[in-house]
Amino acid sequence: MQMGFYFDQSRCTGCCACQVACKDWHDVPAGDEKWMRVLYSEKGRFPNVFVAYLASACWHCAAPICADACPADAISKRENDGIVLVDPEKCLGKDDCGAKCLKACPYDAPQFGPEENARMHKCNFCEDRLAENKVPNCVEACPVRALDAGPMEELETKYGTGRTAEAFTWSKRTRPSVILKAKSAE
Amino acid sequence: MNHQKTVNHPDGRIVRTTSAYDCGGRCPLRLHVKGNQILRVEGDDAPEPNQLRTCLRCRAYKQYVHHPDRFLYPQKRVGKRGEGKFERISWDEAYDTFIRQLDRIKATYGNSAILLATGGGYLASLHQGGLAASRLLNQYGGYVTHYGNISSEGAVWASLTQYGSVMVGHSREDMMNSKLIILWGWDPARMISGTNTMYHLIRAKENGAKIIAIDPRYHDTAATLAHQWIPVYPGTDTAVMAAMAHVMITENLHDQQFLNTYTVGFDAFADYVLGRQDGVEKTPAWAAQISGVDADTIQTLAREYATTKPAALMDCQGPARSAMGEQYNRCASTLCAMTGNVGRPGGSAGGGLMGIPVGHMFRQSAIPPGKNPFEADGPNVKGTLDIRMRVKKRIHINTLWDAILEGTKGGYPSEIKMMWSMCNNYVNQIGNSNKADKALKELEFIAVSELFPTATARYADIIFPVTSAAERNDFTRPWPSGPYFTVINQAIEPLGECKSDLQIASELAERLGIEGFNPHSEEEWLKILFDNNPEYTTHIDDYEAFRQKGIHRIDLPEPIVAFRDQIKDPQNNPFPTPSGKIEIFSRRAADLDNPACPAIPKYLPTAEDRFDPLAEKYPLQLLTPHPRNRVHSELYLVPWLREVEEHRVWINSKDANARGISDGDPVQVFNGRGTVALPAFVTERIIPGVVAIFEGSWYDPDENGVDRGACANTLTRDAYSGGGACVMNTSLVEIKKVQGSA
Ligand code: SF4
Ligand code: SF4
Ligand code: SF4
Repeated sequence: MQMGFYFDQSRCTGCCACQVACKDWHDVPAGDEKWMRVLYSEKGRFPNVFVAYLASACWHCAAPICADACPADAISKRENDGIVLVDPEKCLGKDDCGAKCLKACPYDAPQFGPEENARMHKCNFCEDRLAENKVPNCVEACPVRALDAGPMEELETKYGTGRTAEAFTWSKRTRPSVILKAKSAE
Repeated sequence: MNHQKTVNHPDGRIVRTTSAYDCGGRCPLRLHVKGNQILRVEGDDAPEPNQLRTCLRCRAYKQYVHHPDRFLYPQKRVGKRGEGKFERISWDEAYDTFIRQLDRIKATYGNSAILLATGGGYLASLHQGGLAASRLLNQYGGYVTHYGNISSEGAVWASLTQYGSVMVGHSREDMMNSKLIILWGWDPARMISGTNTMYHLIRAKENGAKIIAIDPRYHDTAATLAHQWIPVYPGTDTAVMAAMAHVMITENLHDQQFLNTYTVGFDAFADYVLGRQDGVEKTPAWAAQISGVDADTIQTLAREYATTKPAALMDCQGPARSAMGEQYNRCASTLCAMTGNVGRPGGSAGGGLMGIPVGHMFRQSAIPPGKNPFEADGPNVKGTLDIRMRVKKRIHINTLWDAILEGTKGGYPSEIKMMWSMCNNYVNQIGNSNKADKALKELEFIAVSELFPTATARYADIIFPVTSAAERNDFTRPWPSGPYFTVINQAIEPLGECKSDLQIASELAERLGIEGFNPHSEEEWLKILFDNNPEYTTHIDDYEAFRQKGIHRIDLPEPIVAFRDQIKDPQNNPFPTPSGKIEIFSRRAADLDNPACPAIPKYLPTAEDRFDPLAEKYPLQLLTPHPRNRVHSELYLVPWLREVEEHRVWINSKDANARGISDGDPVQVFNGRGTVALPAFVTERIIPGVVAIFEGSWYDPDENGVDRGACANTLTRDAYSGGGACVMNTSLVEIKKVQGSA
């Protein structure tokens, strides 16, 4: 079984409640370390403008290239549900290894705090909540229900198999566990 | 603290509560608490699709409540006034100083020298704003205070004139019944117009409603939802509306039957629109010159709005925070009547989207403040449309600083010598912050009850540290969503030596020898506030269960629709106006004999509109919209919210290029009132000729008087419209690139 996310870009207002809720749940201080990020794109010329937001966590890829890239074997894919976890104890630290996971990941999901030789942290699908059968905190936080999470098969039944969205490129190599509903210009 | 595990905390507990910010949301929170520490926040756990989902602001509740900059002990000023340098003192010393000054000022100048400045910083029943303080000062012999609020006076005046009521809203679920929704100056993605409002709007769109956004900005709601964006210059909305009326009248698209049955004075409005009064026909071409919206677009919009039924014209209050603000909301209501959308599911009454008659903040219970002796010989202002009457004994909120500086010779009710301020940050949130700086330096004494070292608190001589909602028990309510009632359940003991406003007032009363000031315990008060509010007693059987659950939802068979009864059965349900009808022509307004308050809604030129000759010097119009990462100026210091969005001025690439400004460049925005420094956000999302600075960033002038905090109100005027609207969106500015950091 593979757990994954659904993101409806046509609903996302870019509010960042998901980002704040993620930081709150995981006690991540303000700063560049964001397990959930909200990316902004703007295109066109006044008054024909196109704006889109992309909520971007770790997509717990079917083939997590980050794990292959890690020299210390700190990243692993959990068998029963396919979520990709990092063991910060094993992580060598950003300065010592050169952040190989981050360089490998097509989605910039690996995150580092401001401290020297920071260890990698990233979205862990709220594994503690998952153990209690709760959806990730970001999902529950989205005021407009633009996010969902669950077994990929269930998500596909519910939402189809959308693989495109503004500012997102589906990686054939890593096969991210996410279904998207793209936003198109009206 | 990084990554510490807080998941399984055996001695932790969950507290069901809500916040009481000056926003429209009241979101159920489940706070995880251990010891005296909030560990994290979870939201509502009602089954979907009815969860009331909190926004990012309450998601950061922990960082707000436990912020290291909170005042935890009473303070006295040690530096110069306004410098913000304080030293910890005891409550005894704080109270003694306060009472010594209060008594001295009363003895020297009389009660009218005492200014009580209260606000919406905490909106709930028991600890609401300055109610406890006004109760205290009323019993102390009186004080002078302010009239009106910054947000909604234009809409209030418009609704009272047109409908005789501010209960002009629909519950948000009703948008599901709309076929067309016009977002006029409304951005609920950022401004929380009631919990879940944006979600309801999205569902309405997914249900097939067409969405049109009319706004100088392509704001986040428009960017998410709008099929069409119509950019418009600030302050010109009423011209566009008048031209829409012109199209409807000349093409006979208006609902004459509806107008005959439910309104008075449409003919006078039609005369104005057709130019029979002033010789100027309010054609789409006329409005195009004024508003920047081309004539064809206005014509199509008018036809579409008139022929799509039901259609909801959602005219929010931002465009009404302008020099002729109330005309915009009145004109919107008039269009709602012309299209027969008033009182109809899926329609709207216009008027600024305000109250609903149940489960709304407007009808929240409150402790009785009593009567102010200073106002005893003043005019009866209840329900009056005459702002001149309202400012006989009170000061219009947006002229507070001028009243301090000018006193009675400026036409204000008294000479002010001291201020006690709470639940507000008016240095920041009312017009002309530099004037605030000047005025507050004149006063003999300032006490501020606060949680944070706000722009206003920096001017205090004495700080009373107050508790947050997490440290209180109370009842509170949202704006038109739901409807429902919420409870504030105390999550933690007061931090440091913080006290509630009521406790502070009670302890002061005791020291002042005012007997019987607070006869009840908090629990007794809550029960009284509950029992005395018929809305609670009608809808809630089990008081204890309500307290425990923290929320009571009212099940309605159908969404609330303003004036449904008046439309269904007009014989038995007159509108609460003198004529019993919707007053498109208002005799009461006509009797004011004030050109700024015409009897029918009109577009009129104003100072600092885009045609003011001052535009040669300051060619850009300034907008000051709601921020998404704070509630006005509340939550400003919260790091998780700060990082969500940098405080930048929105400027169109055309205006930026003309000034050599690139995205992210440090710039200064300035006019005759002040200068603010911040980076530029160069975007296509704003109409050329307009810049936008989100209100609420804290005023922070440097030694040269440049506001490094880039408070929007450093640039706005301290004036009000004929109907009492604060003119926050009627200012002209210029912008320039600067070297180094902004
Ligand atoms: S998104 Fe990046 S970090 Fe996450 S599993 Fe895929 S490759 Fe690894
Ligand atoms: S699933 Fe959990 S850890 Fe991952 S982004 Fe969402 S809130 Fe953060
Ligand atoms: S909470 Fe929802 S709407 Fe807000 S940014 Fe995240 S995904 Fe988008």
